[in-house]
Amino acid sequence: MDLLEYQAKDLFQKVGIPVLPSQRIDHPKDLKGLKIPYPIVLKSQVYAGGRGKAGGVRFVENTIDAVAAAQAIFYLPILGQYPEVLLAEAKYAPDRELYLAVVLDPSLRRPLLLGSREGGMELEATSRQIQQVLVDGEFSPFYARRLALKMGLTGELIESVSAIAEKMYHLFLTYDLDLVEINPLAVNPAGEVMALDGKVTVNDAALGRHPDLVAMQSGDRDSPSPAPAPAGMAHPAPLDKAPGLPNLTPMLFPGNLGILCNGAGLTMATLDLVDQAGGQPAACLNLGGESSYRLPPDTLCDRLEKGLDWILQTQRLRGVLLNLLGGSATCDAVAAAIAHYLKQQRQPLSLPLVVRLGGAHAEAARRRLAALDLPRLVVMESLDEAIAKAIALSQA
Amino acid sequence: MDLSAHSKVLVQGIAGALGQLYTGRMQAYGTSIVAGVSSGQGGQTLDGVPIFDMVEQALQSVGPIDATVILVEPYRTLDAALEAIAAGIRHLVLVTEGVPPLDMVRLLYAAERTDTLVVGPDSPGIILPGQILLGTYPAELYSPGRIGLISRSGTLTHEIALHLTQAGLGQSIAVGIGGDRIVGSSFQQWLQILDEDDQTEAIVLVGEIGGNSEEEAARYIVEAIDKPVIAYIAGRTAPKNQFMGHAGAIIASLVAGWGSEIGTPDSKFAAFQTADIPVASRPSDIPHLLQQALRV
Repeated sequence: MDLLEYQAKDLFQKVGIPVLPSQRIDHPKDLKGLKIPYPIVLKSQVYAGGRGKAGGVRFVENTIDAVAAAQAIFYLPILGQYPEVLLAEAKYAPDRELYLAVVLDPSLRRPLLLGSREGGMELEATSRQIQQVLVDGEFSPFYARRLALKMGLTGELIESVSAIAEKMYHLFLTYDLDLVEINPLAVNPAGEVMALDGKVTVNDAALGRHPDLVAMQSGDRDSPSPAPAPAGMAHPAPLDKAPGLPNLTPMLFPGNLGILCNGAGLTMATLDLVDQAGGQPAACLNLGGESSYRLPPDTLCDRLEKGLDWILQTQRLRGVLLNLLGGSATCDAVAAAIAHYLKQQRQPLSLPLVVRLGGAHAEAARRRLAALDLPRLVVMESLDEAIAKAIALSQA
Repeated sequence: MDLSAHSKVLVQGIAGALGQLYTGRMQAYGTSIVAGVSSGQGGQTLDGVPIFDMVEQALQSVGPIDATVILVEPYRTLDAALEAIAAGIRHLVLVTEGVPPLDMVRLLYAAERTDTLVVGPDSPGIILPGQILLGTYPAELYSPGRIGLISRSGTLTHEIALHLTQAGLGQSIAVGIGGDRIVGSSFQQWLQILDEDDQTEAIVLVGEIGGNSEEEAARYIVEAIDKPVIAYIAGRTAPKNQFMGHAGAIIASLVAGWGSEIGTPDSKFAAFQTADIPVASRPSDIPHLLQQALRV
């Protein structure tokens, strides 16, 4: 979960990372009650990067200009996102702009401190010069000082910049972050540092133990809604909230085949195989694997029935492929669930449904479904053949 | 790794949702489950297995334990694993999905200092077909034989095992290293184990998009592995930035411009190509590629 800039800065303030005086603006008229002296900067609060270049950050000198600028920013989409709020912040004249971040290195399985002395908008051009320090074991401030030296900092900046990195590391641990980033960290002629922007990504798996961060997010009037995808876009629309499908992440595509699988790896492999065989998915749903408390394995059949309900309502759907793999007990339960689901429907199947249950041990389950003797229900053992059949039927 | 049909096994979280489901299945396969742990349930039994409140009590009662299968909730996994390590258990299988990455960092630091093997989290575990099952494997899809199978997945591992079993290619060891972003044992560790294992003649590596473990594995195979390796990679057509169900299987760059090439299918295919490792285009091609490699 990403935090917006003003939320990230709230966290910064809690641990003593210096931020500018600022005020949250929910509506342009809020600027009339502004408590920060002009000149100020107005910043669009969206999750997307590149706000400055897109025109979502504007400097203003007085209330009239501020209201006009705020109106413009509220109506300016940045990578498809409209801001729900703006941040009004005191203007700051930095002498230099640095870059600092803390992330996890998944292959070394250790936190990494990142830093560059060329931060701000220059960062992308110089990203190859980002310095790294691996935190190997218990953290101690010398790791942050090592980063400051690698960044080429000297004198008092070593202490002041490493102190910020140390506080960022503290946030990283306390809140289970995937990323905490300050870009730019401004340095003024007096050598004082200031976090001018902040990016915080909270690890989704850890959200359940940080109710304060979840509350911060739901405190927003609404989470920003993505703009409609341009026509012909090949990427699926993410459906975060699918009614009736708790904890599942359905995907929509522009094709005509519905796909239901159990497990992430099998879902990805099935999508790849459908693509190779010339099929085009309309919708895809991973019903969950075997190791999750969010999606308990013993409730797979319940999710299967809900998943069928959902996928059969997909637009442009011409056929459905069900690829489920498991032991005998799972296959028997799945076959019973499919039979139950089909019997409950008021109308007979309007589309071809290809059920693939793999393995010799699934013979009884396959026979049970075949015995239903439904004209549009096809039961198969081989994955390649099931995919070919589903594609052929959905294109017929 | 030192596991066999005689290994004595503990189940942590035995009275929980996953423990109740999988303990009996492991026993039915012949795995010697000597004790279970579920805090507050001490003194009871499940499937004939005595339950204790703490790991150390289990050891006092049943003697040394070779491996533990940890089936507790995600936020209790770190504690359960540290408890097992403190009690001297050196093989840990973490089945549960969704352990916070920073918990894994702490756990793996403790594991490295004690030379403990940690498999997972979000893992189907380890199976030595015909001998022992630690985790969630559906036994029917696996058969004893000479192929080592390592994977980041659960059900996809079973899919590949089914193709191998149907082609008469049984498995020596199958392991799922886990679908979460931070996992314990790596592909390299298991490649080394399988390379040294007398029962294993060839290796199938099942990777997926996200992270760089396939790239590192490809480099390691060139340096250190003598047995034939066949690779398969899932997620070639998975949309960018889409959550597919494994926290680790997502192509995304958190830091602008830094590591933006990490995790793409192209990068993984290229790594195996450079290492001269055949990549199967579909699971059903794997048996054929293995037979070819074994004939050479």
